[in-house]
Amino acid sequence: MNEIIRECLEGRQGAWETLMNTYAKRVFNMAYQFCGSRPEAEDLTQEIFLKVYGSLAKFDFQKNFTAWLLTLTKNYLIDEYRRTKWERTQRDEFDERVLPQTSLAGPEEDLDRKETRAIIWEGLNRLSSEMRMAVILRDLQGRSYEEIAEILGLPLGTVKSRVNRARLALAEVLKEKKGELS
Amino acid sequence: MTCRQFEELLSSYLEGELAAAEKKEFEAHLASCSACAELFSAFRETQEALSGFPEAEPRPALMDRLYVIPERKRFFKPVFGFLTRPDLQPVFAALSVLFVAVSFIFFAPQGRGVQKAIDRQVHLGYNQVEKLYARAGSVTDELGSLKTTVVDSIKTLNPLKGQEDKKQP
Repeated sequence: MNEIIRECLEGRQGAWETLMNTYAKRVFNMAYQFCGSRPEAEDLTQEIFLKVYGSLAKFDFQKNFTAWLLTLTKNYLIDEYRRTKWERTQRDEFDERVLPQTSLAGPEEDLDRKETRAIIWEGLNRLSSEMRMAVILRDLQGRSYEEIAEILGLPLGTVKSRVNRARLALAEVLKEKKGELS
Repeated sequence: MTCRQFEELLSSYLEGELAAAEKKEFEAHLASCSACAELFSAFRETQEALSGFPEAEPRPALMDRLYVIPERKRFFKPVFGFLTRPDLQPVFAALSVLFVAVSFIFFAPQGRGVQKAIDRQVHLGYNQVEKLYARAGSVTDELGSLKTTVVDSIKTLNPLKGQEDKKQP
């Protein structure tokens, strides 16, 4: 990866494309899961990579590039959320098209799973930006607790407790919504 | 174990991080507390749903926008390079001061007073011009009537009339 970054700094177009092919999906999904709106996530992804391009010269080659990129992404998303949170009231409808098409479960079970996901997708908006980011990194992005601690700049214990509280809050939302439906 | 302690250990239990004794205590609480059992079920369902969340594919249009970032930056760099030259800073400072002064006159509540005063002066000037014009009109009329009076007087006096009478036999 360091070689690709060096080539980016030298201005080789192919290197930047490789970097985008490797990381664009991850950053876009992080933005989408965080803000809940696809068009907004696309704009945020573009702004984040503009910032990455401008900051690439400052990257310390001794450090992990993925953690550096995700830290920058997290900072940008939280700053943007704090700046414009009053404008955000609800998320996009949960996009069923992104769900896996093949499933071994029966149709009723599939429906229940989709409903659960839709409730949780909606429930992410009820979390504070810090808790939402922690649970996104752990459960949706699949990062280890150690990586999350590095990205968020927090002690490991704090990260674990934050992820647990976020999951608890979502479980409460699920319990409440399912109670209303049944 | 209290319900609060149970809640704090939920993730650790599901991720298999509890020591044997703690795990036993956790499971005993789970079996004895119906509210915590219900919460546990919702928690597990939540975690399963979260871990199975699919990733969305970025649209090709977004990828195209991302690929051209270096070109865009290179295109704008000369413009920004020129605008951020240190020797332009006094010019920007002077323009800022001018802009603030203009904004003060046109937009600030105190500035509106200045604007009103300017309007009043313009109206006064216009009125003065109108009055002068009206006066000029009345002077012209007076001169006209004076001219008529003088001509009539001259006609009435008719100094040549007597001489003409004398010439007649």
